[in-house]
Amino acid sequence: MARATTPQRKAVVTVIAWLIALIIFFPILWTILTSFKSEADAIAIPPKFFNFDWTLVNYETVQSRSNYFRHFWNSVVISLGSTLLALIIAIPAAWSMAFVPGRWTKDILMWMLSTKMLPAVGVLIPIYLLFRDWGLLDTRMGLIIVLTMINLPIVIWMLFTYFKEIPGEILEASRMDGASLGKEIIYVLTPMAVPGIASTLLLNIILAWNEAFWTLNLTAANSAPLSAFIASYSSPEGLFYAKLSAASTMAIAPILILGWFSQKQLVRGLTFGAVK
Amino acid sequence: MATQASRAAGRLMLSPAVVLLLLWMIVPLGMTIYFSFLRYNLLIPGGETFAGFENYSYFFTDPNFWPALTNTLLLVGGVLLITTVGGILLALLLDQPMWGQGIVRILVIAPFFVMPTVSALVWKNMFMNPVNGLFGWLANVFGVPPFDFLSQAPLFSIILIVAWQWLPFATLILLTALQSLDSEQIEAAEMDGAGPFSRFFYIMLPHLARAATVVILIQTIFLLSVFAEILVTTNGGPGNASTNLTYLVYSQSLLQYDVGLGSAGGIVAVILANIVAIFLMRMIGKNLET
Repeated sequence: MARATTPQRKAVVTVIAWLIALIIFFPILWTILTSFKSEADAIAIPPKFFNFDWTLVNYETVQSRSNYFRHFWNSVVISLGSTLLALIIAIPAAWSMAFVPGRWTKDILMWMLSTKMLPAVGVLIPIYLLFRDWGLLDTRMGLIIVLTMINLPIVIWMLFTYFKEIPGEILEASRMDGASLGKEIIYVLTPMAVPGIASTLLLNIILAWNEAFWTLNLTAANSAPLSAFIASYSSPEGLFYAKLSAASTMAIAPILILGWFSQKQLVRGLTFGAVK
Repeated sequence: MATQASRAAGRLMLSPAVVLLLLWMIVPLGMTIYFSFLRYNLLIPGGETFAGFENYSYFFTDPNFWPALTNTLLLVGGVLLITTVGGILLALLLDQPMWGQGIVRILVIAPFFVMPTVSALVWKNMFMNPVNGLFGWLANVFGVPPFDFLSQAPLFSIILIVAWQWLPFATLILLTALQSLDSEQIEAAEMDGAGPFSRFFYIMLPHLARAATVVILIQTIFLLSVFAEILVTTNGGPGNASTNLTYLVYSQSLLQYDVGLGSAGGIVAVILANIVAIFLMRMIGKNLET
């Protein structure tokens, strides 16, 4: 919606927008800056913004004190594992709903979405007890299963909206031209489906990486991903701002970068095709 | 295009998802309902007895129940209000021509990608802490006594933290919607003499309604079960000042090991969410017709 504008107006808008953007971003910037300070500089009053001795010591301490990379690796395995599992289940389901719709398709879709509205706390106790009996408490497998199930409705819905945009006429045309089913899938369908699958994948990784309710309640020391492990920094005696910041920076950096690079696809996916 | 064979194949492809989601919904929910009628404490194994509606009456008469319900609604409502209004204003601002628009956008959406435990810890310690936090320092600079956010206004502080996390999401979606608005429509209105306010209320706002629906829908689902932010910052306290339903059920079941009472609470949370969901599903039914 770009319209003609005067340079003065543009300058004013620029200043206001940058100011607000920096205020919103400031907590993240402050976390990143603090992670490079000594503990003394981290709590110095007045606060030191850039005039401190930069150090990497916090990053070393975080790893040596708590085996940080184990939790980092847990996060990677759990978010990738649950995302891939969800896609394996969701792709055929969304595919069949988009291309072979039946009488109940719309109802099934609405029902699936409604399971997302089941509050986690309503099913926490049974899952906790079942997992305890099955030996899945504090395992990566347990979390992969739970995160797959809680994100499955969104994944199916997103894929469905993407697949539905693939016009059926193209398939018929390629068939008329004598393309075999294999060729049709490789050369016609896949290129059109891959962008949708990719943005679903990205969103699901982000949701799984940041999920905190289930990770906090189903894991302890062993398989805790970062979202749960970081919470252990909340105990008052263990609190060191610079180390907390280093641990936090490492935990949010991968997703922040992933999110920034994929924001366009994410918006499209998140709006469920409702906003053009 | 759908032949008999492709229909069967379609059903086959759909069934794993349906069966799994059905199991995921029915098995735990059925167990929760069953537990909610039992006297069942995890510390007394094998001691379960039938309790009728005892757990429910305990839960409803628990002095923490009404505060928790109020807090839940205040939290959802407060965050929705801040993020929707703030999101519309920010979207309008970011839609204007400016220098460095791409970077501004990146800075504004960043909080959405920060995990809740991290943002709660950062806000709690590095900003809201009255001794070492930046807000305390700012208060000193201006010569006012520092405000202890999390003990003096715990729920409000949590609303601020959660709103900070969700404002980018609202902004991003509303901005996308705004950019799809036909500029010719605006120009025509301008030529007809419509001022900025009437342009906003008669053209932009109706256009944003659909996007706002999506924002409210998705956020409500997530906000009804805010948990990590409360656990990390206040543990529901002081007293029950920042306990929401999710946190109340968590503390009854996993901290006090009262499975029966916790289950009854869980069912109440499910019913509340369903009441909200009925309204929401009507909204998407209307607005998201595919």
